Amino acid sequence: MRSIKGLIVFLLLSRALFSSAQSDRIKVSINLNISNNELILSDTTGQMNENTSFQIDVLKFYLSNFRFYKNDTLVFQEHNSFHLFDEAIPTTHHFIMENSENTTYNKVVFNLGIDSITNVSGALGGALDPTNGMYWTWQSGYVNFKLEGRSNKSNTRNHEVQFHLGGYASPNNSLQTITFNVKNLRDIKLVLDADNIFNNIDLTTQNHIMSPCKEAIKLSKIVAQSFSCNQ
Amino acid sequence: MKLRILILYVLLLFMLAFQSSNDYLFQVPSNFPKPSYDFSKNALTSPKIQLGRALFYDPILSRNNMISCASCHSQFSAFTHIDHALSHGIEDKIGFRNAPALMNLAWQKLFMRDGAVNHLDVQALAPISNPVEMDENIVQVASKMQHTFIYPQLFYAAFGDSNITGENTLKAISQFMLTLISANSKYDSVMRKEVLYTAQENNGYLLFKKNCSSCHKEPLFTNDSFMNNGLSVDTTLNDYGRYRVTNNAKDSLKFKVPTLRNIEFSYPYMHDGRMKRMADVLNHYTSGIQKSKTLADELKTPIVLSPNEKVDLTAFLLSLTDKTFLFNSKFFYPKELFLNSSKD
Repeated sequence: MRSIKGLIVFLLLSRALFSSAQSDRIKVSINLNISNNELILSDTTGQMNENTSFQIDVLKFYLSNFRFYKNDTLVFQEHNSFHLFDEAIPTTHHFIMENSENTTYNKVVFNLGIDSITNVSGALGGALDPTNGMYWTWQSGYVNFKLEGRSNKSNTRNHEVQFHLGGYASPNNSLQTITFNVKNLRDIKLVLDADNIFNNIDLTTQNHIMSPCKEAIKLSKIVAQSFSCNQ
Repeated sequence: MKLRILILYVLLLFMLAFQSSNDYLFQVPSNFPKPSYDFSKNALTSPKIQLGRALFYDPILSRNNMISCASCHSQFSAFTHIDHALSHGIEDKIGFRNAPALMNLAWQKLFMRDGAVNHLDVQALAPISNPVEMDENIVQVASKMQHTFIYPQLFYAAFGDSNITGENTLKAISQFMLTLISANSKYDSVMRKEVLYTAQENNGYLLFKKNCSSCHKEPLFTNDSFMNNGLSVDTTLNDYGRYRVTNNAKDSLKFKVPTLRNIEFSYPYMHDGRMKRMADVLNHYTSGIQKSKTLADELKTPIVLSPNEKVDLTAFLLSLTDKTFLFNSKFFYPKELFLNSSKD
């Protein structure tokens, strides 16, 4: 009996030692591509073609629920996984996920935006605090993706372009799932291609989305498709 | 100044000493169902409730520091805006709807007349940001409070952190609102078999159960859903209710079924406050229903009430008045907090 207890203690101890030795860090960094330049807010101008230019003043979005799969089996899921990227705050351009075990994976999946359960969970803190300016007030719900800027194509006042994409409830759920088949990366480099977003919108007719709607879903899909990983 | 600090600390100690569990601070009335609010994420404590009470009464929530929650939600009228069909907010700007009475909020799932707000915690963001109500934003509110003498201390007492966040601000306001329970009307005493109804009230109760209770469901006197109760569209407002939120034609002209508790004091009635007297409301249900595609099934056949029956029904509705709620000192303006400190 005593020897069994001893064995259990030994196993627990060795497991603790073993796993701490194998603790794992996965870094995610997010960069922007705007006409092959690095973006400087309100300054960098993208030139899509000789007729169309654009400039970005505000760019904020949520990436959430990072999970890692090996052959479709979930091997690691980040706890409390909500990351607010804000172009104006460089410290939000990268983050580190800690895992107690060494993760081998061949697929990473995450969301662009905030899931519906979190959207109906009341006042939340950290990245989800309403003071981050990513929460609608007139109607409950997070803004998943916010892009404000200007384009000569937009015939609004001051050529303004405002996209506040959100909506968690059917039929206007704009949450997007993004998947990359990448293997065992410890330094995940995501790039959001702003050119691709603007190339897929007709800014003469589409320059203003401020509430959950079909157009918000359509544009959210375009944004999700504009991400690339370690290319 | 020293005396002020001393008084404040004594007060904080006093609040801490009486910090107790959620169950003690939130007692479900014996004739009420289980609340909808999830207390596990925001368990009530006395310092948090007191902070929420301060926030409820403090105009610091508005852009010009002049409008508080209580400006449009006064206790003696069951926390609605008495005598105002549409409330006036900052700089006397007129709102779009009648301010709803506030009570028994822990039993509600969606908030506002159209259900645009999905959780009590985030409700306050709407009036804070509305340009005709407080016209402020939560970032500014947190920043203004951080620079006061009193709030960093109240937040520390409540949350163990003097750094003021949006989350903690909203949770504290929720805590105070959750304590606004009205369950001590004559109706409740009758249900608890403590007193008896008069013959007239009893007849009114039978009429109520026959004609009204499917939507104004006991004991909360609302089924917490959205219905079209046959009001004509006011073309100066063109308010289509829940349709505005869902964009679904089935929701056109539907508004939240309000509680009837304390109806005696929560006039004027309806989402735009178009009816001043209870008699106007009863007359609407017997002879004013406007038919439309989304009209509630319950109102498709007219409700028939004789003049005497209307009187009896009114007697019953008056039995929903809860004076212990309307005059409960726990919900008063927290002068002990505000008079002992200044915004220096």
